[in-house]
Amino acid sequence: MTLLGASLLGGALALDSTSVAQLMLSRPLAAGFLSGWLSGDLRAGFLAGVILEIYLLVAFPVGGARFPEGATATVVAAATAATHPGPGPLALAVGFGLVWGQLGGWSISGLRNLNIRVVPDPMHSELRPRRVAGGHLLALLLDFVRGALVTGTGVWLADLVVAHLNGRWPLGQPDTVGLFLVGAAVSAGILLQSFGGFRRRRTLFLVGLAGGALGGLLL
Amino acid sequence: MSAVTSSARASAFLRSFTIQGSWNYRTMLGGGFAFALLPVLRQVFRGPQLTEALRRHTEHFNAHPYLAGLALGAAAKLEADGCDPELVRRFKTAIKGPLGGLGDALVWAAWLPATALLGLIAHFSGAPPWLCVLVFLLPYNLGHLALRLWGFRTGLRWGHEVGRVLREAALGRRTETVSRAGALLLGVFAGLVCTVGPAASAAGLRGGASEALWLVLAVGAFVVGLVGGVRVWRPAAVVVVGAVVSILTVAAR
Repeated sequence: MTLLGASLLGGALALDSTSVAQLMLSRPLAAGFLSGWLSGDLRAGFLAGVILEIYLLVAFPVGGARFPEGATATVVAAATAATHPGPGPLALAVGFGLVWGQLGGWSISGLRNLNIRVVPDPMHSELRPRRVAGGHLLALLLDFVRGALVTGTGVWLADLVVAHLNGRWPLGQPDTVGLFLVGAAVSAGILLQSFGGFRRRRTLFLVGLAGGALGGLLL
Repeated sequence: MSAVTSSARASAFLRSFTIQGSWNYRTMLGGGFAFALLPVLRQVFRGPQLTEALRRHTEHFNAHPYLAGLALGAAAKLEADGCDPELVRRFKTAIKGPLGGLGDALVWAAWLPATALLGLIAHFSGAPPWLCVLVFLLPYNLGHLALRLWGFRTGLRWGHEVGRVLREAALGRRTETVSRAGALLLGVFAGLVCTVGPAASAAGLRGGASEALWLVLAVGAFVVGLVGGVRVWRPAAVVVVGAVVSILTVAAR
């Protein structure tokens, strides 16, 4: 996938995450699949998406809360992991994606401040229908541009970082994924708390755990 | 409602999919709400009355985006029925809190993670990527689109009485059910990931001697998340990124 292609995909998925429809194509699981597929290595891109999905299971776009942006972070991570095969690029791509998710979140906050000037002020403006519709559509366009810029910059920088540091990564694929799953386990713990906590849900959780372990052994 | 054509209602519903498009820290969903309601307002009002109606609806408003259609449909009915503007304002002020709280709890904290877990379980069971994505997106969006459609139609039908319908719909009870299912799915997911076998191999976890170390660390990290809650998320991400940088630094020496 070219830098332009990744930017356009990042812009489109950034729209899906908050501004348009929220069909969750922007979640890392789907975004990793799309980015990996378009970058020529579906499995590597999807694996990056799976790891980020577990991390971001608890990053809900609630109200005005600042949250890490999964869509742009995943396109950056998945496109990088799919372009450079191997555990080193995967580690760097996912690590870079986690950092880029934070930057994406800050850019959303910046855009929301900018939108104060874009949408009509109900107290002072001359409120014509064209002004209301125009302000709203301009805000949508700005969100797309923001997502594309964040993604494009991220893919470009991640590519430079991976090209420079790739050979230095000492761990193999299992240990690399193991390292990230340890971090992701924190999100799983937070999620159980969000589902009601261990005390209230321990029976269901433990039944699921036993079933999942048994299923894993039988597979 | 007779003054409003079905095409204007359909247009308002479709526009509601972009209701968060101009989210901002002053009016929040206000701009998006007015944009979505515009086709209806254009049919009901002209000239200065239209300007005043737009002023009412660009004011501060916030709700969960999937349930905002309920307020949108109700506002469309109230405006079409010629209700007192102050009543419309009071209605929106009263409904926005419940719509935000119920929607966040049901969709963001329960439905989304539960369906995402379905996709992750499929992955760790060895399903092909396209199937994992489908297993996540299909149920998620069936629930999502049903909720949007129900909300808008309920609003259009019941107007300012939607509060009663909302109570009868018992969304809190549904949230509890989905949360229970989510806890079960989370257990299945954890069991699959921890199992030494093909599922762990699919995750890339078959690492020989180091496998047990990762498992012990993962259990510890899970407990940290369970006890610390959402406030430990960012520190945990920083630790992981720090670990990647440290490994690179040590390897470079």
